[in-house]
Formats: sequence, C-alpha cells, structure tokens
Amino acid sequence: MTDAAATAATIAPVIVNEVPRRRRPPLGMAFGILWLVTIILLTVLADFLPFVRGATQAPRGASNYAFGPGVDFWFGSDRLGRDVFARCVYGARISLIIAVTSIAIGLVVGTALGMLTGYFRGWIDRVVSIFVDSLLAFPAIILAALVVGRAGALRESDIQVLGLGFTWLSNAWAITAVFAVLSVAPITRIVRAQTLSLSQREYVLAARSLGARTPRILVREILPNVVPVLVSVLFTGVAILLAAEAGLAFLGYSVEPPQASWGLMVTENREFIDEAWWATLFPCLMLFLTVLSFNLIGDRVARKFDIREAAL
Amino acid sequence: MRYVAQRLLQFVLVFVVVTFMVLAATRIGSIDPARDLAGGAVTEAQIEQVKAAYPYLDDPLVVQYGYWLKDFVTGEWGRSYVQSQSVVDMFQQRMPSTAFLAFWAIVLGLLIAVPVGVYSAYRRDRAFDRVTSIGSFGAISTPPLVIAVLLLFFIVSRYEFFPSVGRSLYVAPWDSPVEHFKNFFVPALSLGIGLGAVWSRLLRADMILALQSDSVIMARAKGISPRRVLWVHALRTSILSLMTSVALQMSALFGGAVVAETFFGPRGIGDRLIFAIQQNDLLVIQAITAILTIAVVLANVAVDLLYAVVDPRIRMARSLG
Repeated sequence: MTDAAATAATIAPVIVNEVPRRRRPPLGMAFGILWLVTIILLTVLADFLPFVRGATQAPRGASNYAFGPGVDFWFGSDRLGRDVFARCVYGARISLIIAVTSIAIGLVVGTALGMLTGYFRGWIDRVVSIFVDSLLAFPAIILAALVVGRAGALRESDIQVLGLGFTWLSNAWAITAVFAVLSVAPITRIVRAQTLSLSQREYVLAARSLGARTPRILVREILPNVVPVLVSVLFTGVAILLAAEAGLAFLGYSVEPPQASWGLMVTENREFIDEAWWATLFPCLMLFLTVLSFNLIGDRVARKFDIREAAL
Repeated sequence: MRYVAQRLLQFVLVFVVVTFMVLAATRIGSIDPARDLAGGAVTEAQIEQVKAAYPYLDDPLVVQYGYWLKDFVTGEWGRSYVQSQSVVDMFQQRMPSTAFLAFWAIVLGLLIAVPVGVYSAYRRDRAFDRVTSIGSFGAISTPPLVIAVLLLFFIVSRYEFFPSVGRSLYVAPWDSPVEHFKNFFVPALSLGIGLGAVWSRLLRADMILALQSDSVIMARAKGISPRRVLWVHALRTSILSLMTSVALQMSALFGGAVVAETFFGPRGIGDRLIFAIQQNDLLVIQAITAILTIAVVLANVAVDLLYAVVDPRIRMARSLG
C-alpha cells in the first residue's frame, strides 16, 4: 500500500498557493520543553528533594485514600496510604526510562536497516520489508502483552541458556526489549523511504563519481540528511511508547507492583475513581501532559524540516 | 493482474511471519507446551489426552508450525481445554461483539472527522479551525487509557443510563437497539475519539490541497454551488487518503479494542485473547492472532485494489509498470 500511496502522491497534481502565514510564537514548543525539563529534574533529583516522599513510604493514617489533594499530600494519598505525587514522580522515572531506552535502540537498529535497504535495494530490501510489514500488520500491544507475559513465565521457570538463568529478566527489561523491537519497524520504513529519495540526489552522484566508497556515501552524504527525521521520530516515538506502556500496564503487563508506573497507577486506582478521583486522574494528567509535550516538540521539529509523517 | 499476484504473495508471507512469531512467542519459557494447552494444574491423564490429540507439541518449532498451519487451513482450529470449548465456537460467540465495537468506532470516528475536517479546511485559519486544530492535537496526545478513564469519570459514573464499568454485555442491535446502544456507545466512543482526531487532521490537510486544485476552481467557475463543490468535488479526491488511513488504523484499532473491551466490556474476542495470554492457551492465541492478521492485511489489500477502482490514473500507472 505504500507503493500505491507513493504513486498517488507523484501523480496527484500538487498545486500549493501557499499564503504567507503569520509567524506564531512557538508557545507549544516552549511549554513542551518547560514541562519536560521539570519532569526530568524531578525524576533525577527525586531521592534528594525534601518534598518528595518515598514511592512505597506510607505515612500512618493515610491509607484508604484518607487525604485528598492538599498541603500534606499534594496529589492526595492512595489506598495503601502512599503519596500519589511521589508515586507520579517515581512512575515518571520508570515510564520515561523504558520509553527512551527502547526508542534509542530502535533508532540505532532502524536507521541502520533503513539506510541499508533503501540504498542497496535488492533481496535484503525484500526480506527486511516482509518483517517490517509483519510487525506493522499486527496490533503491537497484543504482541507486547504476549511476550512480556511469557518473559514472566521464563523468569519463574528454571530454564537456563548457556548456564545462565533468567531471574534478572524483570518486566521492565522485557517491556523495553519488546518496545525496542516494535519501534524498529516504523523507523526502518521511514528511514528507508528517506534514503530512497536521497540516494537519487545529485550530490550523492557527485560523491560517487569522485570515487567515494559506499560506507562514506552512507555516513557522510546520506546520514546527515536523515538526522532531522530521526529527531522528529524520537519525540513522537517516545510519546507513542508512553501511551503504549499505559495500555500494557492496564492489561496487567507492567512493572511489578511495589514499583510505580503511570499506567500501573491508573490501573490500580481506577476502581475507586468515584471515592478518590485524585489517585487516578493525577497520573492521567501527568501522562497526558508528558505525551503532549513530546508531541508538541516532535511536531515542531517535523514542521521545521518539512517532514511528511505519512510513514508513521 | 501481475500486481494483484504480487500483493497476494506479500500477504501470504506476512501472514506466515506473523503467525510463526506468535507461535514462537507462546513457547518462550514453557518447558511443556502440552501442559500449558491442557491448562496448567491438571492430572497426568489429562496431559496424556492432550498429547494424544496434539502429538507434535514436542517437535521443533518449524515442524509444529507446519502442523498448526495445516490444521488452521483445513478449519481444525483446535480446542481450548481451559474453557472446554472449541475455538470455532468461541469465535462464533465472541466475534460479533468485537466486530460491532470496531464498526461503531469507525462510524463515530468518521462522524467526528468528516464535518470537522471539511469545515476547518473550508474556513482555514478561522476560529473554528483554530479551536478544532488544538482540540484534535490534544486528542491525539491523549493515550487511549486516559480517554477511557475520562469517559468513565465524566460519563459512565455520572449517568445510570450506561452500564457500570466492565458490565457492558453483548446485545445484538436486532434484539434491542436501545440496549445495544447502551452497551456499545461508551467503548466505541473511547476508540472513536482518537480515530476522529487523526482523520480530521488528515482530511483537513488533504482538503486544503483539494480546494486549490484546478478541478475545484473549474467547478466553481462553472457556477456549481459552493456547498456542492465542497462536499462533492473536493471531498471526493480526499476520500482516497481517508480510505488508506482507515486501513492503516485497523491494527491500532484492534489493539485499542482489546483495551476498551477489558475496560468497559462487551467482552469480545480481545478480552478472550488477553485471558488466553494469561493462561498461555496456545491454540486460542494462535487462532485469534491469525484471524486478526488476516483481517488487517485484507483491509490493506482491499484498499490498495480500491485505489485502482477509484483513480484511473493509478490503474494506468500500474498496468504500465
């Protein structure tokens, strides 16, 4: 279907009488950066800040949602008497680490695959494309739930590979691994499309006729032109993965309970939403604002470099 | 014709890769697949019974896959020992609910997207466009789980009319339209909002281009009423990309349906799939994922072929290439 979309795009008459638009101040971008800096500072410094309690610390008399949002408990307390604000902060740490790590892995692998397939075409392109299509044809959240669930079984079994057990394989690791693999597919597709068009450009031809070797062309001529796309994908991708983690947590495949992730907090507290809205809605708000910030920044970058998001 | 054959080959390959991945995934961390299939804590006799029915479970993965594929193609989808139900029966019982959920989600998504997208393109950069642009960006940035929680908080727990969370049941529309609406509206809306936001942005961008195209200027010059130009001439060219997006969103829609079903109910195939994953009910997982893959890929192939029907230029390009 991508081929068809491409043909449609080349055939369709594109006449844009672009009306010069007023330059709007990048308020969204400013908000995004501000929010992300706040969140990152909070999560990094959480252990040292006096106003952030421990994630599992439960002051006496705060259980059963005793405190609403207020001076003592900024976001209220949850069923076990833990501070919702503190758990939001520690939840941010886990959610962000999972999302950013997997996107980073996905970017490295996806860029390599995309550039190779886009530049060399041929059989390697066909093989990789089949795998990319397969990963995209299937609801990612189901595959993730399946693999994370099985990773849990693997951890509890006494199966050993090369003499090593799998007791280290926490759910957080499993989620990161699955998300990394899943994010490879769209990134490969985007980078491949970009490389395809870039490799037809004059400066690539010029470099080749000057006798540059293929690795040099890939790294010096093509890679720099893929980077803007990657920056945009980085932000949008983190946003998508944060949302996916929440969905996965709801299905019961998130980090193990004493730990906190935003999705897990929503899942734990949603049954009591009528009595204690704060324990559910504040993690939701954090999740929304963070996803929004990543999207705002990604959108801005994409617009700046005029990237089509068709492949996403 | 050659093009169709290529697409079908690709479809078969994708199907094989996905179903093999799923089969391999279900075997991770499992020492004895026969025990998983029999349902975990069961007697030796029951496991022997499963082994007699599925003797290939100890073979290498590729061999297992071969047996499974043969069974699947011949309609022997196996049996869930945990639920003591055949997989085919399970589909008959659960599939209508999920199909209705997906259908209503798409309908609600289009009901939101088409008016908003068309009107904001028509009155570009005016107040309506500004507000809906911000709104749709916000909706895209809201994770599905958060949308579900908000619907729960602001609608379901406020109005007795809707069944309380997780209590929605499957009622066929021909049995009782009102009950059907009660049970399906909120879960479908939780999916439809996201779809509507994505599609309205897409439609807006597309319509802005379409409104500037020669054919629309020509139509306007011929004196056709602005309304007709907008809704017939301009919208028609944008239908292509909307169709593509509907097909592209299919797999995300099923992923969302799993969450929505678990959250609100009507307990359809997605809910059953999650239960099967918890139990590692091998044959159920494999059958459901296989059917989902077929549905998603067929939707994409169908749209791809429809392109040629809708747009003669693509038909020409393909027959040349």
